[in-house]
Amino acid sequence: MASTHVTKRAKYKTTIKDPGTPGTLRMTFEKILFVPHNPKSAGKLDVEFRYIKGQKHTKEGSNKPPWLNLTNNQNGSFIFEFENYSDLQECRDFVGKVLAKGGEVSEKPTVAYPDEQLSAAEMELRIKLLQEDSELQKLHKQFVLSGVLTETEFWATRKKLLDREVSKKTKQWLGFKSAMISDIKPSTDGRTNKVTFNLTPEVILQIFAEKPAVHRAFLSYVPNKMSERTFWTKYFRAEYLHSTKNSIAAAAEAAEDEELAVFLKQDDILASEAQKKIRRVDPTLDMEADEGDDYTHLPDHGIFREGNKEMTESQNELYKRSLSQDINRHAAVVLEGRAVDVELEDTKAVAEALAQSKQKSSNKGESDGDISRERLDRLSRMTEIEDLQGPNTLPLAPLCIKDPRDYFDSQQANALRTSGDALGGIEQIKCGLSTQEVYGSLRESISSIKAMGLKEPIVKPEVAHQVFDALTNSISNTKYHIGKNPQESVLDRLPRKTKEELLHHWTSILELLKHFWASYPITTTYLYAKVNRLKDAMSNIYPQLEEIKGSVPSELRHQVSLLVRPMHQALDAAIQHYEASMQKRSAQSGERPNGYV
Amino acid sequence: MKFQIEDVTVYFPYDHIYPEQYCYMIELKRTLDAKGHCLLEMPTGTGKTIALLSLITSYCLSKPQSPMKLIYCTRTVHEMEKTLAELKILHNYQIKHLGPQARILAIGLSSRKNLCVNPTVVAAENRDSVDAGCRKLTASWVRALASENPDVAMCEFFENYEKAASAAVLPPGVYTLQELRAFGKEKGWCPYFLARHMVQFANVVVYSYQYLLDPKVAGIISKEMQKESVVVFDEAHNIDNVCIEALSVSVRRQTLEGATWNLSRISQEIDRFKATDASILRAEYNRLVEGLALRGNLPITDNWLSNPALPDDILKEAVPGNIRRAEHFLHVLRRLVQYLSGRLDTENVEKESPVGFVASLSSHAGIDQKTLKFCYDRLHSLMLTLEITDTDEFLHIQTICDFATLVGTYGRGFSIIIEPFDERMPHIPDPVLQLSCHDASLAIKPVFDRFQSVLITSGTLSPIDLYPRLLNFHPVVSRSFTMSLTRDCICPMVLTRGSDQLPVSTKFDMRSDPGVVRNYGKLLLEMVSVVPDGIVCFFVSYSYMDGIINTWNDSGILKLVFIETQDVVETTLALDNYRRACDSGRGAVFFSVARGKVAEGIDFDRHYGRLVIMIGVPFQYTLSKILLARLEYLRDTFQIKEGDFLTFDALRQAAQCVGRVIRSKADYGMMIFADKRYSRHDKRSKLPSWILSHLQDANLNLSTDMALHIAREFLKKMAQPYDKTGSSDKKTLLSQEELEKLGDGRMHEMSY
Repeated sequence: MASTHVTKRAKYKTTIKDPGTPGTLRMTFEKILFVPHNPKSAGKLDVEFRYIKGQKHTKEGSNKPPWLNLTNNQNGSFIFEFENYSDLQECRDFVGKVLAKGGEVSEKPTVAYPDEQLSAAEMELRIKLLQEDSELQKLHKQFVLSGVLTETEFWATRKKLLDREVSKKTKQWLGFKSAMISDIKPSTDGRTNKVTFNLTPEVILQIFAEKPAVHRAFLSYVPNKMSERTFWTKYFRAEYLHSTKNSIAAAAEAAEDEELAVFLKQDDILASEAQKKIRRVDPTLDMEADEGDDYTHLPDHGIFREGNKEMTESQNELYKRSLSQDINRHAAVVLEGRAVDVELEDTKAVAEALAQSKQKSSNKGESDGDISRERLDRLSRMTEIEDLQGPNTLPLAPLCIKDPRDYFDSQQANALRTSGDALGGIEQIKCGLSTQEVYGSLRESISSIKAMGLKEPIVKPEVAHQVFDALTNSISNTKYHIGKNPQESVLDRLPRKTKEELLHHWTSILELLKHFWASYPITTTYLYAKVNRLKDAMSNIYPQLEEIKGSVPSELRHQVSLLVRPMHQALDAAIQHYEASMQKRSAQSGERPNGYV
Repeated sequence: MKFQIEDVTVYFPYDHIYPEQYCYMIELKRTLDAKGHCLLEMPTGTGKTIALLSLITSYCLSKPQSPMKLIYCTRTVHEMEKTLAELKILHNYQIKHLGPQARILAIGLSSRKNLCVNPTVVAAENRDSVDAGCRKLTASWVRALASENPDVAMCEFFENYEKAASAAVLPPGVYTLQELRAFGKEKGWCPYFLARHMVQFANVVVYSYQYLLDPKVAGIISKEMQKESVVVFDEAHNIDNVCIEALSVSVRRQTLEGATWNLSRISQEIDRFKATDASILRAEYNRLVEGLALRGNLPITDNWLSNPALPDDILKEAVPGNIRRAEHFLHVLRRLVQYLSGRLDTENVEKESPVGFVASLSSHAGIDQKTLKFCYDRLHSLMLTLEITDTDEFLHIQTICDFATLVGTYGRGFSIIIEPFDERMPHIPDPVLQLSCHDASLAIKPVFDRFQSVLITSGTLSPIDLYPRLLNFHPVVSRSFTMSLTRDCICPMVLTRGSDQLPVSTKFDMRSDPGVVRNYGKLLLEMVSVVPDGIVCFFVSYSYMDGIINTWNDSGILKLVFIETQDVVETTLALDNYRRACDSGRGAVFFSVARGKVAEGIDFDRHYGRLVIMIGVPFQYTLSKILLARLEYLRDTFQIKEGDFLTFDALRQAAQCVGRVIRSKADYGMMIFADKRYSRHDKRSKLPSWILSHLQDANLNLSTDMALHIAREFLKKMAQPYDKTGSSDKKTLLSQEELEKLGDGRMHEMSY
């Protein structure tokens, strides 16, 4: 849609219940303009797009009229009812485009700081990072926009984030779930024998991916030969027949209904794909090759009815499909991952997108030479004995932990189990060492390393293990220790808003402290100014913390103050240090008046 | 590295060596010096194959005048490829150090199905159709016809190979099947016939057991091997079963129907030839009068499977007069088929010795023993005379003739069992007549007699004294090595109780108990949540696996699951996917069956298998008539008790399954034997010593939660880096200098 504006007839409603004012909706890149047909009515609207935060709309096929709901940043909303769905779609797309643009527009000026020369790519990367991580964005807003930190300073502590993002580039795909699709359980209403299946586009995509024959049938039958509804009815009828494991009944049904037979038969596309794939498998596990080599497989040779060989009923083989096959197929599809990246809305679109992506991959299909080279590579990798030889690194997908908190939360369970024996050992370690002692032991170990060289694992595995354990333990434990019940986080019991605020303060305090301590020792006036800025920002936090404490109900106040205390302590320490160094500095500057200029 | 063992310089392609490998080589060297046979058990994951290859090739290099050749037998094609790949590493190393004189020719040999490069032929789906497809293009009479009539299709690869004649040779090097194919494609020569031709010049030949043990195959492929050759059977713990299978035949209704149909086709062909060219039939008759000298001067393409009986047992006589004429032979076969179908109509299970069977056959159908003996060769000759190319259509009649020849040749060590239905499915009539061999030593005897050194080696040969009895030979060296481990990198456990503390077992009366099934499911689920990467789970049988999976399916699945099925293609793909799932870090579970193909030959090393769960004790189906007959024979002939043999057999399978997790000392893995019967001493003690030595007393009687705790601790400990060379007094990894410093004397102390 290249047009710069959209004009549609619509009704403007202030609430859902409101019958609405009929009028004309006109949207441009900058603003939304609604003019009622009746000039006297009050529904005139003129909103700038930058206040619009998001949009919601009703789905086609649901029994609601075509509504578009635009939310502004004050949590208000504008609801428009359109005459039909195509109007709605057009407007929806337009709003989507403007909003996407708006995100960039609002970020750009903040990033372009005069004193640095950023490449466009780098800038984009930063914007992307900010967009992806709302927490980061909040911090950025709070400190950079308010001038506490400069843009460069803010990013300097996140270099790694930038680097990694550059090297990674590719976005992580969301895969299929491990759960089988046969897990879609029909819901019964309890009175009749009627069952209802709930199909989502997600499930449909998975069915198509796992059963190419169903996919093909869908493309050729729907909607010319039958409606989508009858198609899925037939499909589930077939599935039901499978589940009864009555292959004779299945055969009988299939004979009557040729479309139903499509679902009941073995998937011929799968079989041909298997033939193709088998040429590419790792030769060290190619058992199909044995089949061709093993002379005892001649019919009736070898021991026929021995204990370990079993017989299968060969009748109605055509209509039999074992659970194992299904599970294998499912796992293979999950492993392949999702090939389609379309917004899952319309079944037809899903089916077509899948067909396209398949076409692409089959066109891309590597030549024989590539395959055999790849097979050889795998073979030689498999044959080397690893510890008689240098290390051989496998290609690894980088670990991407979106939110470290989740990790430590999940470690809580493990930490609890081991805490019994681990903690006992740690607490006995003597912590109060004098400077002399520390220096002495450091010297000792340096001289021993000089004499003997470094040992192969520098830290003993057991020690490393213990340290990691203790770290994980203490990190994941803190918030639980404060709560009464070790299984339950105290944070979860706080009101949502308080919890979020607390967490936000934590991160912002950490950010400030990081910059604060990094500025010492102060050697330039620039750092001096920075420390001052930071200190002011930190002292601003105190009243805010108090405010939180005051806002929570009294039964939680104690716990909140427990949570706030470490923040106070950290801030206190920083400010103390600041004042001490200021005193020292003023004393020094008394002696040397032109010390730092 | 390079080192001396007595007078032989051994070239070993790695910088370090395990002490076990060194000892293993010393024992091998002794065997070769003594020109005898040997039996060596060394745990999996200690690099048996490379130790073996590097010693034998180095031994050959040190004695360039001897015509010694290595015949390396593997059970499967993928093991063959792996062996050749290891040999290639070794060969490159030797060339680097010795220069061109170290050049050897090593090839893998397989069927047409795996070697053919002709796209039209290889497209056929099974081995027999590929064979027939090849024959249709390359048989001597087809080629003769083609020289007159240009419309007759031929295989260009074979024609090119023929044209190149003696120039068609493989340059020295190591060729895997894939490289053979690539070479053939590049030169335009047929790789299958090229490989078959090159076998006589190769220094190392790698092929399947059957090529040496099955007389049908060995007769054509292995007959040119020199006596000085060294024969190696790797992963040989199942060798007795392979031997027995090679000499067993069964006849079913379908076989007889197919055979009847085959016979009528043959008789049509005979009539056709009579009408057009009777001289061919007469020529055949004359040849048969002179004796059965039809092999040897046959063109290579006309060869097919040879006589099922062992070469020594075939009389060098002329074909008896009553089957020399084609029509007469057909009559004999018809009578035989009729007699067999009459016997199949029985209501009861019948068991008979071959002698009794032959006697009744002679009285009822008038076919004497000598005639029976020649059936196979006579059929073979007839089909060649009739110029039949679609041999895959004639498998049924071949089976009947196989059966006849075996029955006619052997009086003892066999029995004939007729069952009207399968005992597990008594409602389905499926009569079968089985000629089953009980004596594994029969098939392997010619190998022991013919070759000067036969090495039988595997990770599980315990108890090691049983094999010489089963196979009836006298090894000069028979040893079982343990494994010196840097750290306790294997963790076997015996799980006897489920999470609800009730015993678990696959004993017949308990296996369908829902509580047991639930406990097994619980065990797997709990383990899946603890163990990273791959988990392999072995069941006692397909039917049990199917049942249990159906039950589990309702309880939800955590990781990706792949399952071995009876369909090989599907299983292969499932395995491939399983590996990819493990490579990607997602991890997966593989369900497999003890005694299945996966358990026999696929490694689940490193991250492909951190845990193996053996659910149940994989006993054979003890009510099987054939097994009973075999047990009886073993008891009478070798004084081996039935119970002992069954336990031995079940536990070697179990050990084989769990042994697949370890590949090197840097690797680690856990093994769970989930059945209460494993805690009994008489069962457990049959496990190989390298597993037993790591089975701590505390781990002998665990429940699911205890096992879970141990697993968690073990995995944490193993994931840490460690010192690979071992502590100073107990070395587990030797570098070149250390090896030289140690000298032979110290080495021996260490190994004993």
